[in-house]
Amino acid sequence: MAEAVSAVTPTRMELLKLRQRVSLAQKGHDLLREKMDALVIEFFEVLKKIGDAKSAALNQLSLAYRALSVCSAVMGTIETRQASREAKRELEIEISTRHIMGIVVPTLEVEELKRNALSRGYSLHTTSSVLDDASKEFEKALGLLVKLAELEESANAIARELEGTKRRVNALEYILIPRLKATIKFIEMRLDEMERENFSRLKRIKAMLEARE
Amino acid sequence: MSFKVAVIGDVDTTTGFALAGAQYVHVHIDKNGTLSKLGELLADKEIGLVLITHRIAEELGAEFRMTIRKKGLLPIVLRIPDKTGYTPKVDELYNLIKRTVGAEIVVRAEGG
Repeated sequence: MAEAVSAVTPTRMELLKLRQRVSLAQKGHDLLREKMDALVIEFFEVLKKIGDAKSAALNQLSLAYRALSVCSAVMGTIETRQASREAKRELEIEISTRHIMGIVVPTLEVEELKRNALSRGYSLHTTSSVLDDASKEFEKALGLLVKLAELEESANAIARELEGTKRRVNALEYILIPRLKATIKFIEMRLDEMERENFSRLKRIKAMLEARE
Repeated sequence: MSFKVAVIGDVDTTTGFALAGAQYVHVHIDKNGTLSKLGELLADKEIGLVLITHRIAEELGAEFRMTIRKKGLLPIVLRIPDKTGYTPKVDELYNLIKRTVGAEIVVRAEGG
């Protein structure tokens, strides 16, 4: 049993106010609960997408690493690194925001991720074709990773919101509403008690009046 | 708005992503250097995505998690496996589900 609010005057006015507060809290609780359910559905949808995106991205990434290893083996490690320094590095990703149930989640998009060997910027006559393969694989992997990043960030944002909502639902359900109800009960009891006191007092007065006559 | 990509990783990871066109690469040497670089990258308004390998993220440990928690919406930080395919045993996502949805739902999509 939750503890009643101690500093309360047991009056009918207070009782009415409290009843109003309970019904408001109940309404809020129901709404939040619905929001939570919707968020959970959304969350699991994103999770499902993450599962697919993750396995695709990780596969592509391991392919890319393998291609890079081949490249290092064929061209030499230092030459590969040198080529990576020479490469044009002006990749830009477009980030905008989207709202899911009032939560801001980012959306990422990449333009012109895949480049041809000429536009990559390293010298062609000192490098081997395996370098082109490695670059291509890494470009592909980066594209998939960008998608994955978007999904993971969405999941995080939804999870954060979900946590907050859950805390509020629980606070209402387990703290505020029981406390208000306990207070209502306290006031009702007190009012009944006063009624009984008054009743017996009246009886006594009546008896005294009758005795006097 | 267009943003740039940054990568923190070992030499091979950074080489690969530099070939793919990532603008900022930082080769991890020691913890403090990487942490301060990470702080710089997160404060940079031009950067939208930071890739960091799982191994380094783990090495940075609690400070990394603190930094991540304090950042705003952007940049997004994504942890990726390095060339050995190393991923931590404790799945971040699994913890997230457990924390938010509650322990009663642990079954999730295949391959997630």
